[in-house]
Amino acid sequence: MVLSLWIQAILSGVTNGFVYGLIGLGIAVVFRGARIINAMQGDFALLGGVVAYLLVHNLGWPLPAAFLAAMLSGAVCGMLVERLLIRPTARRQGTDDSYLLVTLGGAFAVSASVLLYFGRDSYVLPGIGGDQSVDVFNAAIRVHALALIVIGTLVVIALRWFYRGTRLGQAMLAASIDPDGAQTIGINVPLVRTLTFGLGGLVGGLAGMLVTPLINLHYEMGLLLTLKGFAAAVLGGLTSPFGAVFGGLVLGLVESLAIVTVSSGYKDVIAMTILILIMIVMPQGLFGRRGRMGG
Amino acid sequence: MVRSVSKLLICTAIAAGALATAAIAQPKGEPIKIGAILSLSGPGAGLGQPERAGILLAEQAINARGGINGQPVKIIIEDDGSKPDIAKSKAERLVFDEKVVAMIGPSLTASTGAVSAITNAEGLAQITFTGLGPKIELTYKSLYHVLPPQELNARAMLEYTTKALKAKRIGVLHDTGYGQVVLNSLNALHDKYGVEFTAVEKFEVGATDVSAQAAKVRAANPEVVFVIATSPVPFRNARQVKIEQPIVSAIGSASYDYIRGIGEFADDIVFPEFVVGEDPKPEQKEFVAAFQKAYNALPKNFEAAGWDSAQILASGIAKAGGAKATPKEIAAAIRGVHQGAMAKYDFSRDDMTGIELSSYVFSKVVKGKFERLPFVAK
Repeated sequence: MVLSLWIQAILSGVTNGFVYGLIGLGIAVVFRGARIINAMQGDFALLGGVVAYLLVHNLGWPLPAAFLAAMLSGAVCGMLVERLLIRPTARRQGTDDSYLLVTLGGAFAVSASVLLYFGRDSYVLPGIGGDQSVDVFNAAIRVHALALIVIGTLVVIALRWFYRGTRLGQAMLAASIDPDGAQTIGINVPLVRTLTFGLGGLVGGLAGMLVTPLINLHYEMGLLLTLKGFAAAVLGGLTSPFGAVFGGLVLGLVESLAIVTVSSGYKDVIAMTILILIMIVMPQGLFGRRGRMGG
Repeated sequence: MVRSVSKLLICTAIAAGALATAAIAQPKGEPIKIGAILSLSGPGAGLGQPERAGILLAEQAINARGGINGQPVKIIIEDDGSKPDIAKSKAERLVFDEKVVAMIGPSLTASTGAVSAITNAEGLAQITFTGLGPKIELTYKSLYHVLPPQELNARAMLEYTTKALKAKRIGVLHDTGYGQVVLNSLNALHDKYGVEFTAVEKFEVGATDVSAQAAKVRAANPEVVFVIATSPVPFRNARQVKIEQPIVSAIGSASYDYIRGIGEFADDIVFPEFVVGEDPKPEQKEFVAAFQKAYNALPKNFEAAGWDSAQILASGIAKAGGAKATPKEIAAAIRGVHQGAMAKYDFSRDDMTGIELSSYVFSKVVKGKFERLPFVAK
């Protein structure tokens, strides 16, 4: 098999892996801080993409400013979800199932709202470097995809520092592991949970503005992203931001290598078989144990 | 907000058109009701929305020229959410409560099956936006199709490839939804056209990057590449991995929405389709001009199919005697040849469509616009 095909498969796998990983990262952030699986994570990305698109195309904002606004809007959405959906459910002794159902309902509501107010068309958001590609031994990767990989890596490093080196990060971890204990040492657990969802939304908004130039903005993209992101987060251990991105990379690379070595028709079968085997051998995920210890 | 402004513009255009023609012919009396079930939301919304635009425009045009035998026509449009069970319940309401005299739609094959079971039992004329579906449809005598079967779409792609491009080695990059359906038809035809599929690579709907599949297609060194998908991603990835061979796509991707999404990489992609608004055929000019005036945009194939469905029903109802005609008389009046804006139909044919390959036009994208090619399939 020609070298360029292998390289293309790796570049494609890494690109897809970081897309899955960025969504998984948000899911891991929320789960780490609130022990809730947030099915709206892909929809935070969708909303971030919508905000960035409107600001760039309707108001003529420069791309960096629109990107920043998209991230902040994701954070605001995350906090609103916690205040309007999660907290009332928690007050009525909601279970894991009810949180999942509530966020799943929220995901459908966001998708339907975008369809209603934004239409069914897909919209193009310019990427970093436009449509330009970089040649790597006769294979190609978009400049924007490279930017996504670099920014995704920086976010993982930043989150690692945040959880290890800041009081707020440690408070989030404490509030999720033992809410009553955290309360007794003076941590405002409800506020920390709101901020956790805000952080998840921030990461979701970031993912939205990075992913949208690759796939175009579309009202159905949220749930599709959530599904792959969830697989990446579970593979990585669900509590570990690094694990989520690593899980995404494993998933993306296995998929693309399955395409070139076997067939695109068996891509999902092979990827899911490997995922099942990993979960049987390591039920906590690749980095679950370390993540639960704050790693 | 964009949609609201569009609606306002359309309403204004419709009102202006109605006022301008009031002096010519004002339909009177009870409106003749036609039901329409479309996929305005859900996965089929990409079909239902443009179909609705064409239907609404046709309704306005029919009433502006005096309605059906002097009576106004009212088309009641319902959304099935792309779900056959909802389509069925909406059809029951339209047929039994609203007492519509004929039915338009649905947009999807499964919904067509659900609705046609009702219209067939009542002998009610139904013009649907799907090609011939399950074999049971051949036993229905009042169900007509204004879109070709996928087998004909596949033939159009192969006609262009083998006759205009003189190519025999084809690579295929397709999604698991629409692309898979077209591929099934292509597989049934490749012996007949003497072509070889050197690589067939698929990807899921909504995939973020399919450059690995595209690179594998390129590595098989085909003469032509078919990209069949309802997303801009594979088209962009195909060009990014330097597939420099001609790309031929299918009618389902021939929309301005996709072309905008593909961006500069859309140039030179060829589509077998029916309506090139930038350069319409003589029989399409009236429709294209009316559409452009009403919506300030050029129509494509599904808008034309919507227009044709309403126009054909209106002429059929008029031919059968107007409001006094029974559903069966209307259904019988429609069975025949119709020159529509999208294509020439012959509803007396076995496939209840009668669209010939000669109705296809072949277009190429140049700087975001469709350019009609001289090639004609026979």
